[in-house]
Amino acid sequence: MTSNIISTKGLYKRYGSKPVLNDVTLNVERGDIYGFLGQNGAGKTTTIKLLSGLLIPSEGKIIIDGMDIDNESENIKNIIGLVPQDSNFYDKRSALSHMQYYGRLKGLNKKDAAEQSITLLDKIGLKNAMHKNIGHFSHGMKKRLGIAQALLKDPKILILDEPTNGLDPVGIRQIRDLLHEYNRGDMTIFISSHNLLELQEICNRVGIINNGKIIAEDKIENIRHLESNGVITIGIYNLNPKIINIIRNLKFVVKTELRSEYVIDVFVNSKKDVKPEINKLIVENNGQVFKLIENSLSLEDAFINATKMH
Amino acid sequence: MNILKIIVVAEDEMFNGSKSKYLLAVGGIFIFLSLVIIHYSNSIISLFPFQNNINVPYYLISYLIVLILGPLVTLIASYDFICNEIQTGSIRYIISKIDRTSFILGKFLALSSVFTVAVFIIAIISSLYSLFLFNNAFELGKIILFVVISSLYLSCFISGFLFISTLSPESKTALIMSGVFLGILIFAFFKGNGNFLKYLTPYFYGISNIELFGGLTHKFEFFELLKTIFLMIVYNSVFLSLASIAIKRRDL
Repeated sequence: MTSNIISTKGLYKRYGSKPVLNDVTLNVERGDIYGFLGQNGAGKTTTIKLLSGLLIPSEGKIIIDGMDIDNESENIKNIIGLVPQDSNFYDKRSALSHMQYYGRLKGLNKKDAAEQSITLLDKIGLKNAMHKNIGHFSHGMKKRLGIAQALLKDPKILILDEPTNGLDPVGIRQIRDLLHEYNRGDMTIFISSHNLLELQEICNRVGIINNGKIIAEDKIENIRHLESNGVITIGIYNLNPKIINIIRNLKFVVKTELRSEYVIDVFVNSKKDVKPEINKLIVENNGQVFKLIENSLSLEDAFINATKMH
Repeated sequence: MNILKIIVVAEDEMFNGSKSKYLLAVGGIFIFLSLVIIHYSNSIISLFPFQNNINVPYYLISYLIVLILGPLVTLIASYDFICNEIQTGSIRYIISKIDRTSFILGKFLALSSVFTVAVFIIAIISSLYSLFLFNNAFELGKIILFVVISSLYLSCFISGFLFISTLSPESKTALIMSGVFLGILIFAFFKGNGNFLKYLTPYFYGISNIELFGGLTHKFEFFELLKTIFLMIVYNSVFLSLASIAIKRRDL
């Protein structure tokens, strides 16, 4: 059995003639917490809808746990738990009633659906509110209910579309802890988010999508160094446009950002240490360097760089 | 397609779903209106002196209620059954767990079951009136035929409205589109006599069986009954298949 639990190959989705996904190929390994990054409209939600069977691809293959979604979509739905982006429940139904219904749709009998529902609502902190109508729930409570329903029948794969959107820090922490707990039990988690710091903390692999194309997919530490392997912060007393241009024209410089009157961030993409070369060049052009520090990139920097480059 | 999941969807729609109270209320109103019409039909017929000595044809009256009032009531009950779920987004939780065809069939089963129970109660009311007011025998066969034909007839409309609901972006549009669809069916019925148009409207299948319940000519053909039952099943299958195809093409 392949180690990839989710793999897509040459996935296209078009609405009319408008392409939304363009040759998306991604691989999620068993047991991964896979972060799916992308700007608004990049194609994250469309990809998630395709993986969970809410949409049918225009072209391409989706293989989940060795099953082709074209032929075994029902079996695939049995091993997937989906948390959609918006928490759209029926306002006039209780949380428990929702959970029991979804449990039965997942193939549980009435008794097991009721038992699992109560256990999960307890775990997610909604046991005291389980008989309340959803109309009285806060945004955070609805989000948590969304996660609880996805965990019914212990799915192999949990797919979450922006699960922490609109949650307070305590809610985010609760969800993160819960995801870690389930991941320790071998559940594969596929999570899309705008919250890069969040992904940085919980994911071990990341895919970046831009304009419907996967532009990077790797372990989180490799992604950080994908387009630029570091930022060099340089302090120059007599920083001027000529020096900035000289730095920009270096072939290993991806971009520069002016931090203040005297300080500039230089994003570089090179396997060797380029600090001496930059320092030498600045000094040759009469620059008075007072600081030269190399920082590693955050996932956010890598993401911004990667999407700008494409 | 999974029969157990179809039953789960149908059961939930009837007893716990967001529209279950509405659906049961519409079914109840249909029964109540039928009861009122059946009750007063005795008084209306007695206004005609030449009718004084004959039995009131309760089954025929009940069947006419189903033929005329039924389509309108099914429209009110089912016009936004699917599009409401798509519009609110609640469908995503369901379709991520079951296939779309099961979802459509579950909804159809819920609506059809409610109206089958409704026509069964209407048939019982008719037979009780017939039994107590005119001492007619209790005709179980007639009741069964009434329920089978009436529920199949109404389910033709339900499947059509479900298909339209699958296509509609929102409830208001679904209501307008369903109204127009019903108008087209009525037009096709009146204009289609003698040509293929008549087969496109469930009214034709309903009228074809009117003789079973003491219609105008009293010439009943068994073959005609089988033919219309078969055609109504085909009609339902076509619209449910169309709804299933339509929902597969929708962005949920």
